[in-house]
Amino acid sequence: MKHTLSILLQNESGALMRVAGLFAARHCNIDSLTVAATRDPAVSQLTLVMHGADDTVEQIIKQTRKLVDVIEVTHPAASTP
Amino acid sequence: MGNPITVNMPLQKDLPSHASTHPLAGQSMSGAEVVVQVLADEGVGVLFGYSGGAILPVYDAVFRYNATHLSPLGGEPMPLIVPANEQGAGFMAAGYARASGKVGVAIVTSGPGATNMVTPVRDAMSDSVPMVVICGQVPTGALGSDAFQEAPVSNIMSPCAKHVFLLTDPERLEATLRTAFEIARSGRPGPVVVDIPKDVQNTTLTFAGEGTLPIPGYRARQHAIQTARVDDAQCDAFFDALAKARRPLIYAGGGVIAGEASATLRAFVAQFGLPVTTTLMGLGAIDTTEPLALHMLGMHGTAYANYAVEDCDFLLALGARFDDRVASVPDRFAPHARFIAQIDIDPAEIGKVKSVHWHHHGDLDRTLSRLHQFGVRHGFNFGAEGRYAHWHDHIGALKQTHALNYDRESPLIQPQAVIEAINRHTQGRAVISTGVGQHQMWAAQYFDFREPRHWLTSGSMGTMGFGLPAAIGAQFARRDAVVIDIDGDASIRMNLGELETVTTYGLPVKVVVLNNIGDGMVRQWQKLFFRGRFASSDKSLHKKDFIKAAQADGFEWAKRLEDKAELAATIADFIAFEGPAFLEVMIDPDAGVYPMVGPGATYAQMITGDFIPSRVAPAEVGDSKSDMF
Ligand SMILES: Cc1ncc(C[n+]2csc(CCOP(=O)(O)OP(=O)(O)O)c2C)c(N)n1
Ligand SMILES: [Mg+2]
Repeated sequence: MKHTLSILLQNESGALMRVAGLFAARHCNIDSLTVAATRDPAVSQLTLVMHGADDTVEQIIKQTRKLVDVIEVTHPAASTP
Repeated sequence: MGNPITVNMPLQKDLPSHASTHPLAGQSMSGAEVVVQVLADEGVGVLFGYSGGAILPVYDAVFRYNATHLSPLGGEPMPLIVPANEQGAGFMAAGYARASGKVGVAIVTSGPGATNMVTPVRDAMSDSVPMVVICGQVPTGALGSDAFQEAPVSNIMSPCAKHVFLLTDPERLEATLRTAFEIARSGRPGPVVVDIPKDVQNTTLTFAGEGTLPIPGYRARQHAIQTARVDDAQCDAFFDALAKARRPLIYAGGGVIAGEASATLRAFVAQFGLPVTTTLMGLGAIDTTEPLALHMLGMHGTAYANYAVEDCDFLLALGARFDDRVASVPDRFAPHARFIAQIDIDPAEIGKVKSVHWHHHGDLDRTLSRLHQFGVRHGFNFGAEGRYAHWHDHIGALKQTHALNYDRESPLIQPQAVIEAINRHTQGRAVISTGVGQHQMWAAQYFDFREPRHWLTSGSMGTMGFGLPAAIGAQFARRDAVVIDIDGDASIRMNLGELETVTTYGLPVKVVVLNNIGDGMVRQWQKLFFRGRFASSDKSLHKKDFIKAAQADGFEWAKRLEDKAELAATIADFIAFEGPAFLEVMIDPDAGVYPMVGPGATYAQMITGDFIPSRVAPAEVGDSKSDMF
């Protein structure tokens, strides 16, 4: 199942690496990742697309929320493959 | 992100402005002096670390601080304890943190100093230990140039630590350090690394005396955890299930210790009458000598604890995460539990391994108190009214029938007898650290644990070499306590240089090496799963004379025990010695750790060995084709 996650991230040194590294370390492949500026120059918006079982995604979202620089993770209704 | 022209968020001190009340506010200081002042403000009483070029300004500031300030107890207010290797400093800081609950602080130089710190940082992360690690770094202008002693510390440490700050803006130094402490101790504790380029340490700054970084996401989540309350409907559901249960059991983990919830747990148990088993990390959460305490569960847990898990119909997991050393086969763990409840401060642990029927993510102490009060208000006195009397009888019988035991008649010294002999003197009051291996498991099994923070062991990472430096750090946290490192002949070799650190600082640390001439735990697995092919686990060709080594490092009391008849007297003499003491015990090299729930096995398949009665017939052993570890 394809999942699209939207991540609001503080624009800190190493923040993007920590998000990408978390997915890599948890054996989760990122299909695509786009980083966009937001109105607040201190905050970036990540859009991340991945494949995974629902419980895998749920766990990785929870783990992403543990990253200090992450402001919020949202998972708009899961899209189909 | 990696972008050098990122715009920084305003510091919180810039928001609503009010005058700082810090006596040094407005003073001009170097970055290094700011570091030391924040450490002092955070109540740091001891530092562990090794110097080097990129951290020299901070070391100099520590030196000057100690030369101009006096500790309320006399002496230096922030002594800097120097190990043989930075890994030692990391484990000292961790031992200090584990024994005290305070944040342990280590300071190292760039490059090799920082990379030597990776293992302790990961170890602290895995066991949720609060630490702040400050690393020197090459100057900002040299970052990314493959400079002398440059290592990508932020990249290396990020996936290992709770958080890493690379400080490139001196203006944020003070707030960052304060925030590092906040992150280390809040929520599920963990290590925070602060990487400080040398030019930042040398910059002249104005000390603000207050302010933290805005970390809006983290703080909002912490706030949600702190204010999360179990509502009445949830309490009802919990007590409904508990009232229907006939064999309820608490499975308590390291979260009870980290969350300072031990007293609340004990009161809860007294009120509602639930027996308790703890994980390796949870030892001390409850007094293991109490009738309702089942000691440790899991791979090398007591047979009676594991049977109780098999038999229970209600399981309450407190700050415990169903890890593979406890629930190797999650689907078959607590197979008769019709209701599993879980409380954890980390939302990611809820249902991660095993789905549960009831959960709450929040502060453990507060949640348990809330449940307790709700129960009392509704007149539930399951403890006093003896609601689970049959279950308690069953538990009592399990404890008696399947008690821990070993070869007491053997002419060789059994390691379990050594632990029992030490325990007779310490009575569960000593602070115990360990290496990793069989000796660690024997110590976990055969010591009594009465209080939290008396058991310091590398649980999740299982890092050999942890024991000796952790004992040193713990002795700084607990000057009053008897601190004993129960080590293995292989584990202690990993940080043997720290023997000298014990005597350098005149610490009365007691070191016991249970010498089975090799990697006993590895041999045990090779015996069970590789038909006794002892690849690289035998150390009979090794020449080290541990007694001479200890003497060379200044241990006045250093003895080898080889004769079983001298066990009791030697242990008495060893414990009674006032200063540092080193005891090597030549133990039966074939002694095994039992019970054992093999990797990938269920509790029903537990092997209890030759001296503990089992409820089932033992299974066959042979070459292992399992990937389980
Ligand atoms: C740093 C590290 N390397 C390797 C291991 C794997 N390992 C686990 S126990 C063990 C043997 C430990 O031997 P010793 O310290 O003598 O303890 P014993 O089992 O003999 O009591 C090894 C090699 C480990 N846990 N940590
Ligand atoms: Mg050994």
